[in-house]
Order: sequence, then structure tokens, then C-alpha cells
Amino acid sequence: MDAFVFHLCAILMLISAAVVVTRKNPVYSAIWLVFFFTQIAVCFLVLRSPFLAVIQILVYGGAIMVLFLFVLMLLNLSPEELAETVSKKRKIIAATGSLALFLGLVLTIRHSPTINPDLGEGVAPVDLTAPLAEDLGVAVTQAGEIKQIGFTLFQEHVLAFELTSIIIFIAIIGAIFLTKTRRAGGNVKKTDWKGATPAAETVAPETVAPETVKEVG
Amino acid sequence: MTLPLDTCLYVSTAIFCIGVYGVLSRQNVIVILMSLELMLNGVNLALLAFGRLFISEGFAHAGAGVDAASPSTSHAFVVIVLAVAAAEAAVGLAILLAVYRRWRSVNSGEIHLLSG
Repeated sequence: MDAFVFHLCAILMLISAAVVVTRKNPVYSAIWLVFFFTQIAVCFLVLRSPFLAVIQILVYGGAIMVLFLFVLMLLNLSPEELAETVSKKRKIIAATGSLALFLGLVLTIRHSPTINPDLGEGVAPVDLTAPLAEDLGVAVTQAGEIKQIGFTLFQEHVLAFELTSIIIFIAIIGAIFLTKTRRAGGNVKKTDWKGATPAAETVAPETVAPETVKEVG
Repeated sequence: MTLPLDTCLYVSTAIFCIGVYGVLSRQNVIVILMSLELMLNGVNLALLAFGRLFISEGFAHAGAGVDAASPSTSHAFVVIVLAVAAAEAAVGLAILLAVYRRWRSVNSGEIHLLSG
């Protein structure tokens, strides 16, 4: 049953991934990407990692997709701006390149002695949906549970964890710095401590001609 | 119906290559960023498939005597990949907004200040 669910979700995943990269309108791509994330979360569940399945839905399906849709809404692109001038030749080269990469990786997987060990006649390869042995201990049987992931993350990989926090911190600073609006004079609009605009810089709305409003916006 | 390891790896490879195709063939920067997310998800699936392999019966017994890594290592790795993906999306979209303000375009074919 688990294997059937995985195969079904794999097919849906491949279809939705193909739809994501081919739609003209990025909003449709985003919606299909949400569908893709839910399917891959189901695959994570089949592979015994319930925590990461939940995180997948929360972080990818929630946070990152909201970010994408928010930017799409903010830009409000017209159909002319969405038009692409990709030549047929470039598309064919891209398809050939990615297909060659796929075939190379498939051949590597097929001939790898680690993934496909020579098991001999009549011995089935390891089934990833088979139940686990009972005598293996909590660390193995609950490897995908949040407690064991926490132990591993904070005992063995604490340096990587700290570096990740620095990466996210820098990303926050970078995102704020890059999206900060600058005024025409090159200075950020100054506000005093009460949050009100200083009188010298305040322009009454009715004195501004409609054309200048458009330029500022 | 069984689920061998190579099926998982073929699926994740296919997702990765679809992402590569998207990055190479599209000009809309937003869709390019989405394709990058696809690639990262393909890698995550492969990581979790290996993590599941190393806790399955034959492997777990074989590795019990060896001073092996914790069985949750792949999950910890995926958590870090997720965090990096979130940071990448945030910075990428912020750069996109700044670029759109300057060039009024999200088309990677029209933004060629850095091309030689």
C-alpha cells in the first residue's frame, strides 16, 4: 500500500513539476508548485519522516509560496512583461542538456554497487516500505521523529546548525536592505522618533500634480 | 508492490532534471527561482530515501557494530537544506524586486548589465 501511494505521488509530482516549468503565467506555476509540495510531503511520510513532511508543508507550501505569490502580486506584471523571447533552439538545447544529465545520473544509479549490490539470484533488493525490525532501538526505529532529529542536530551537527542561523540572519538583512525604497535624492525618507514625517519634507497631497505622484510611486 | 531504493532515486533525479530544464529554458526570473526550489526538493527526496535505506533491516543490523553516523543524519541534513532554501528564496526575490525597480523587467534576457 505504501509503495503504491509513493508511485502514485511520484507520477503526480513529475506531472506537476513539468507543468510548473512550462506555464506562461507564473501564478499558475506557483499554484502547481503548492500541489507538488503536498505530493512530496506524502512521499516523505512514506519514507518514515513525519516531521519533515509537516515542515515541508509549513515552510515550502506555506512560507515560501506566500513569498512568491506576494512578490507576484507586488509586481503585478502585465502580459507584455510576462512574454518571453526564448528561441526554439535554446529550448531544444535546454531539453537535451537536462535529458543528458538525467540519463547520466540514471546510468550512474544503475551501475552503482552501493545502490544495486550484487544480491545474487532470487534475493530481492531492500524494500523501503518494509516494516522495521523490532530489536533495533529507538534511535533507529524513530529516526524521523522530531526527538531523534533534535538529538542529531544539536549533538553532532551543532556547528552546521549555527552556520545555518548565520545564513538566515544575513538573508534577513539582505532582503531588508535590497527592498528598501530610496527617495529621488538618494536618502531614505527621514522620520523623527515619534514616527511622524518632519514638516520640511512633508508635501501636502493636493499640491502634488498627478504626474509626479506616478513617478514617485 | 515494493519500493526499492533506485525507484526513489530515479524520481528524485527526474525532478532535479525538470528543475534544470526550467532554469535553462525560462526567462522569467520568478519561474527560474521556482525551478531552483524543484531541484532542492529532488535532492531532499534522495537524501530521505538514503536515510530510510540505512534504517531498514539488513543495513541497520550490518551497521550496528560499526561506529556509524546517527540514523537521523539525513533528516538533520534535510532540515539544513530547507533553511538554506528559505534564505535563498528570500534573498532571490528581494534581488528580483530591486532589479524590477531599476529595469522595469523580470525577464533575464533583458537584464544584461553583467554580461560581457
